[in-house]
Amino acid sequence: MKVTVRHATAWAPGLETAEAWQAWADEPKALPTEGLPDARFLPAMLRRRCTPLSKILLRAAMDGCPEADRANLRTVFSSRHGSINESVGLLENVARAEKLSPAKFSHTVHNAQAGLYSIATGNRCASSSLAAREDSFGCGLLEALCHLEREPQRDVLFVSGDVPLDPVFAPLVDEPATPHAVALRLSGTAKGPALTAAIEPNRGEAPVPPWPAAVEFLRQWLRETPSFELVTPRHRWRFERSG
Amino acid sequence: MSAPCRLAAMGMVHALGDAAGPIAERLLAGDQSRLQSRSDLVPDRSLVVAAVREPLPDIPEALSPYACRNNAMALASLTPIEGPLREAVERFGAERVGVIMGTSTSGVSDAEDAIRHHQETRRLAPSFDYAQLEFGGIADFVARWVGAEGPAYTLSTACSSGARALASARSLLRLGLCDAVVAGAADTLCGLTLGGFSALQAVSADVTNPMSRNRQGLTLGEGAAMFLVVQEEGGVQLSGVGESSEAHHMSAPDPEGRGAIASMAGALHDAGAEPADVTYVNLHGTGTPLNDVMESLAVDAVVGREVPCSSTKPLVGHTLGAAGAIEAAFAWLILDRSTDGALELPPHVWDGERDPELAPLRLASAGERSAPATRPRVLSNSFGFGGNNCSLLLERSFS
Repeated sequence: MKVTVRHATAWAPGLETAEAWQAWADEPKALPTEGLPDARFLPAMLRRRCTPLSKILLRAAMDGCPEADRANLRTVFSSRHGSINESVGLLENVARAEKLSPAKFSHTVHNAQAGLYSIATGNRCASSSLAAREDSFGCGLLEALCHLEREPQRDVLFVSGDVPLDPVFAPLVDEPATPHAVALRLSGTAKGPALTAAIEPNRGEAPVPPWPAAVEFLRQWLRETPSFELVTPRHRWRFERSG
Repeated sequence: MSAPCRLAAMGMVHALGDAAGPIAERLLAGDQSRLQSRSDLVPDRSLVVAAVREPLPDIPEALSPYACRNNAMALASLTPIEGPLREAVERFGAERVGVIMGTSTSGVSDAEDAIRHHQETRRLAPSFDYAQLEFGGIADFVARWVGAEGPAYTLSTACSSGARALASARSLLRLGLCDAVVAGAADTLCGLTLGGFSALQAVSADVTNPMSRNRQGLTLGEGAAMFLVVQEEGGVQLSGVGESSEAHHMSAPDPEGRGAIASMAGALHDAGAEPADVTYVNLHGTGTPLNDVMESLAVDAVVGREVPCSSTKPLVGHTLGAAGAIEAAFAWLILDRSTDGALELPPHVWDGERDPELAPLRLASAGERSAPATRPRVLSNSFGFGGNNCSLLLERSFS
């Protein structure tokens, strides 16, 4: 299926503007492993409980579409690890038979960012949150297409990102650990550069990439590469750009 | 006419059992005898929970990294439909079969043990693998077990996760990205969710009592339900999907029920159905003070006071991420069992004391059957934490 990418934006430490991302896409180098965006774009009430992942995903989401449109899109938030870092503290509480903090618990649901985005922007449209191991970016894109299938006239804001995993679990996962988020505003009707995605099983090797899949997608998109691939242990994702 | 979407096979497990026959009997009888009181889950508190009573199957050795209670739960609900699932892979080819799961807990109950081990030894338990805890792990597990090589992902939008898995399965078929989808959800009782909902003061000490003036919150449960979803006519069809966000609060619904109304009305609109076409509503019906106020208002606004409704949570508990799939499975079951278009309705089990603050819905009583219809339709509501709503409409033609 073909979809128009109306806007593509991202956040990573030190890469906070379109110009910085374009320069990085032309001459990529390793990304920092720490950093957080300023979250003053969020109302103080919401900001106070925001996790690092929420700040990063919401920053990309806000940059991903103009204020006037923020309440009128469907949203898809994709993250491999979600709020697992915050769950670690709660799991330690459980293991010690301690009582849990209700506010902390509320912010560990996988759809915390979707809920916060909806509240911050007054958005009442449908929203999903998902995870798919190394395929979280690609499957997030498919889920965004599912929303366009259900309501072709309404754009979908697709946000994908992660933060480095807590040291308790980090040794179990071989991945480029960098805080990042990529936001794509997708449309089934608008004019603009179009994206086609195809997926097939990967029966070969999948080396650990130098930066996250979402960031590699953005790099290729900013370079206007006509055709490129993302390879994960499970799939080969082929993307084509036209128009 | 939009493309068909057949829920061609269904398997489930929860407090009422792990086989469709006994589950249907207990469901229609309103059997609460399988609920248990447990004091090992939340510090200093004894709670009624709806745990699975049957032993869960072992995860095959080849998939041992995925061996956790939540995946065993998924496997228990996949086993009864193993034949149709493997036939679908054979018929369409592994690449054309996708997997969409829902969960809110993933393997957290096993991660609790792993963390306890870490606190004692500075090492995680040796049997623990991150694939048990990460949300994407269950979809990967199911795909490997079934032999599906299409897209596999896990939706986690709290209590609407399981309903969403079915909605997206239908979309993947309509987009032509898959020819068959294994869609469903699983959730497991664990200290994290029980402790978390207790901290939010949402858990009732006694069995949940939805729509009653005496309701005090929810009873938590566990379970799974799985479907084979294909783009074919006949059988039980997923004909309507409605969705909304609340833009209200992280852990409380909009008291006016606007999100719930949009979700239910959306499902009817999507199916091309009128409110009068709805035979039965499976309520979200958590028994929390706020849910029942807003949901009774919303149901009243969309389908009125004549359509029989019930919450099945007094029987299987609130299975959180699995609830949308399990309740769709109940809808599937009563549509599938019918021979003449009349449906045997799951009773609303409660203390019978109406709350004058709630809209007076028509709550189904034990033994109730709907009038025969050529196209009975069941509306199933799932309203999630974080303000994420999804309603499904299932129907079957008897013409």
